Amino acid sequence: MSKSPSAKAPARRADHEYMVPADHYLLRLFMAGNGANSQKALTNLRSLCEQRLAGRYTIETVDVVQDFEAAVKNNILVTPALILVAPLPRVVVLGNLSDLPMVLAALRLSEADS
Amino acid sequence: MRGQRHAIQKVPTKIAGLDEILEGGIPRGRTTVVSGGPGSGKTVLGLEFLCRGAMAGEPGVFITLEERAEAIRLNASAMGWDLAALEKAGQLAIIEARLLGEEIVAGDFDIQGLLAIVGGHVKRIGARHIVMDALDVLLRIYDDLKRERNELSRLHDWLTDQGLTSVLSVKTRHDDHQGSQYEFLDFMADCVIRLDHRVVGQVATRRLRVIKYRGSGFGTNEYPYVFGEHGIVLFPLTTAELTHQPLGAKVSTGLKGLDLMLDGGFRLASCILISGNSGTGKTTLASTFAQAACQRGERVLYLNFEESTEAMISGMLSPGIDLRPSIHDKTLLVQTATPESTGSDYHLNRVIETIAGFKPDHLILDAVSACVRMGSKQTAFEFMMRLVSVVKERGITSILTNQVSSGVPNSDEELTGIGFSSVVDAVVQLRYVETDEEIIRQVLIVKSRGSAHSNRRQLYVITDQGIEFPETPQPPPARFGRARRKDGGK
Repeated sequence: MSKSPSAKAPARRADHEYMVPADHYLLRLFMAGNGANSQKALTNLRSLCEQRLAGRYTIETVDVVQDFEAAVKNNILVTPALILVAPLPRVVVLGNLSDLPMVLAALRLSEADS
Repeated sequence: MRGQRHAIQKVPTKIAGLDEILEGGIPRGRTTVVSGGPGSGKTVLGLEFLCRGAMAGEPGVFITLEERAEAIRLNASAMGWDLAALEKAGQLAIIEARLLGEEIVAGDFDIQGLLAIVGGHVKRIGARHIVMDALDVLLRIYDDLKRERNELSRLHDWLTDQGLTSVLSVKTRHDDHQGSQYEFLDFMADCVIRLDHRVVGQVATRRLRVIKYRGSGFGTNEYPYVFGEHGIVLFPLTTAELTHQPLGAKVSTGLKGLDLMLDGGFRLASCILISGNSGTGKTTLASTFAQAACQRGERVLYLNFEESTEAMISGMLSPGIDLRPSIHDKTLLVQTATPESTGSDYHLNRVIETIAGFKPDHLILDAVSACVRMGSKQTAFEFMMRLVSVVKERGITSILTNQVSSGVPNSDEELTGIGFSSVVDAVVQLRYVETDEEIIRQVLIVKSRGSAHSNRRQLYVITDQGIEFPETPQPPPARFGRARRKDGGK
């Protein structure tokens, strides 16, 4: 698991233990090793966050090949899959995130929402 | 070993009757698809295969894509399988992998996550068997056929690479009896089993059919199955027929007169039909036999589809037959059922389970005519054929009563009412005859395989001391059969 930017979050804690400001985005991306779709999803997610959430987001990545228990725990059957952990409500987005309007809508970041 | 002629390795499912149909089991290291409508028992079939394997030391992983793992464990405990214990022993893993249906799709994806989950658990317990239950639920997230196929291929290749013996279940729609919506899956798999749950004459019946089996022969019929007390039970009739026990020694009918007519009595392990109009004393005759057998210490299972145990006991007291002592010392077991209460397959399974537990020497079924109420004539026919097969296989003597509506039936078909006379070894016909002064009762032995028998109608009366013969019956025309053979069958 890796985190970026990592300044805020130390060791991994249970979701409810994250003491984050209300407008801070915690995003967990489940990937399958170096799979093309997984890499694409990470790139898409990073660029989106930089544009829309600069300074108030944390991305955690989980490689299901390495950590299948995490996949079981989070019900991740397909990869890549993104979970918006905070702010609530929790949202699950499947796919390489190339459908940007869909991703923004899912993360409640569409023009209308902001 | 006919099924292994192409060196196909098989894994027995250990499901009662299924391995006979599959000529040994499902293909080892390959994929088997089980499809069927809701409630057809796909989950139970997969689960039973895994459980029985796990109990025999072959670890397995069960991936449930639809039901909660807890629901699976609960259902299994109803069948007497302790999944939790098997899981604890590292022989089984029940993995819940359910899409919640709230996921938003934004771009291309694949089932690597699922494969990682499955792979992880397979490695953890060293699984050789895997069941993926309700694969259709996973396929639902693909909106186009091509991607669905790609993913199925990916899954299939992965399972094969891992050398796993897999069972994939898919739900088919009610109207899709051919399962054509998952044509590709059928094409991909090495073995395809279809489960069908239908209602015939207001009675639910379940049928299993093997659609294909690459490199192996298999039973091609539709086979009825039920959920028994300990899992799925199939009745492959074709195999059962081959192992009937030969007819045994004579056993007394409990009536000296009738024994005389039958040259000593009924033959053990034979199937005897007592046919007659209402009130001719079929139940009395059957009960006389039961009482005599029980008094000899033999065990009798009396299946009554006509009346309750209490009604039967009190009804038999009038002709002086007291069945209570035999019931009390457990040589006589009366099992009653309303024919229309459930499907014939369930009746059959209940009887088979009772036979297995009680181990009777003789079985009485009262009456064949009531069995039609399980559904139809065809249903009753199948029920009787299978039941008689089961008892003959175990060397149990069976006495079936059949009520004929009116007149005197002449053909065997009319005698049984449902045309299964080929398995009947002896027929005792009871009838009324009206004379000017009275109505009298007559008994005739219509046939008795492998035995000489009287060819005369014999007068009998039912008194408060039971059935009596006013005139001593004529023994069979002395050595009629043998004498004829001696002079060249003229």
